[in-house]
Amino acid sequence: MIKKRIIPVMTYNGMSLIKTKQFDKPRMVGNPIQAARVYNARNVDELAFIDIYATKQNRKINIELVKLILNECFMPVSVGGGISTLSDIRDLLHAGADKVIIKNSAIYHPEFIEEAVLTFGSQCIVIAVDAIFDGKRYKIYNSQGLDITLEEFVVKMHKLNVGEFLITSVNHEGMMNGFDINLARIMYNLTDKPNIIHGGAGNPQHFLELFNQVNISAAAAASIFHFTQYTPKDIKDLLKQNNIPVRNV
Amino acid sequence: MIAVIDYGINNIASVAKALKKINAEFIVTNQKKEIEDSDTIILPGVGSFLEGMNTLKSLDLNTILIREIKEKKKKFLGICLGMQMLATKGFEPEESLGLDLIGGKVEKINTGSPFIKIPHMGWNNIKIINPALFKNLNDDNFYFTHSYHFIPDEFNIVSATVTHGVEMVACLEKDNIVAVQFHPELSQQAGLTFLKNFLER
Repeated sequence: MIKKRIIPVMTYNGMSLIKTKQFDKPRMVGNPIQAARVYNARNVDELAFIDIYATKQNRKINIELVKLILNECFMPVSVGGGISTLSDIRDLLHAGADKVIIKNSAIYHPEFIEEAVLTFGSQCIVIAVDAIFDGKRYKIYNSQGLDITLEEFVVKMHKLNVGEFLITSVNHEGMMNGFDINLARIMYNLTDKPNIIHGGAGNPQHFLELFNQVNISAAAAASIFHFTQYTPKDIKDLLKQNNIPVRNV
Repeated sequence: MIAVIDYGINNIASVAKALKKINAEFIVTNQKKEIEDSDTIILPGVGSFLEGMNTLKSLDLNTILIREIKEKKKKFLGICLGMQMLATKGFEPEESLGLDLIGGKVEKINTGSPFIKIPHMGWNNIKIINPALFKNLNDDNFYFTHSYHFIPDEFNIVSATVTHGVEMVACLEKDNIVAVQFHPELSQQAGLTFLKNFLER
């Protein structure tokens, strides 16, 4: 049986790993190469590395750094940040990334996603969905302040046959008080592509709540690994005790 | 020396990294001479059957591979698409001929349930039939990502299977040929152990 994946997320600012709260107040949390080495030693299922300011600061992701990170990893790794051309994707795949994570280009240039899927195959195109709840509806959080509903964006990407969605709840991100289960449920109803739910995990129980309530493929987290003593193994042990299928670690 | 075949569309970097990790000597190449001089060949791959075969043909690698594997009986490992292209024929996206080194066909996965999705992507446990290549494993989960699967003509060459709605081939062994649907290079310690077992085979 296919296992539920637990995916540590490494967010990077161009210099250091950082961790934000609700996409604000970045705190430095260490060196990405060391972190990748630790996650690999902990035998994690998969890893995500995202340069979250690359687009904003108008830079490309540092390929040499990506190579050093990937060198530490013997599991699938998704890499994102500032991807806007096919050659950006090609460079990352050549460096050894298994999948690329795309956000801004998906919002502003959906035709690029179509091209990327046709060129590289859907399995390696992951779309980052940053969803913010305004009290009534979920919207796509974006730098240009465009009014885009979660539904219209996800349906559009689904039709372009992307491989996976990495869904981050802006409201829950960094707060460590549980995943946005309502958002997970909405995503489950919008698409049958693999959904990775991210944002809000603070203890292993939060993962159990999520997997017990919504049939999603994977959960991603960062704060829990930076700011608590919990490891991916603690999360999996709890899931396993509760009959959620996970890989042995 | 291992020759890891680079035909442009495959993900070579992770395979090279895994071989380095287990201290194997290898070169990444698509050159006839270097492939002929090697004693072991690894053919990785992602992508579609037809595109993969067309790329091999455009580099004349199909004839070189057939000669080295079938006639010279070189030790060979095919990974994912590198496994599938050994078949007689494939159906992705349309019916086309493979290398025909292992009799069989490559068809789209029919999981039998709308709730069991393809691609079959992620970590899945295998059922080991012939344990030789799977000794010393700390875990029986391997990383898969595919929408098509290999249906061999003879089932006594199947060393391991995986179930995703339907039971499918995870590993084949026939004479000098080993072929796996999973990605050992992305399967953590279990994958590295498998690669070591293959090289010691």
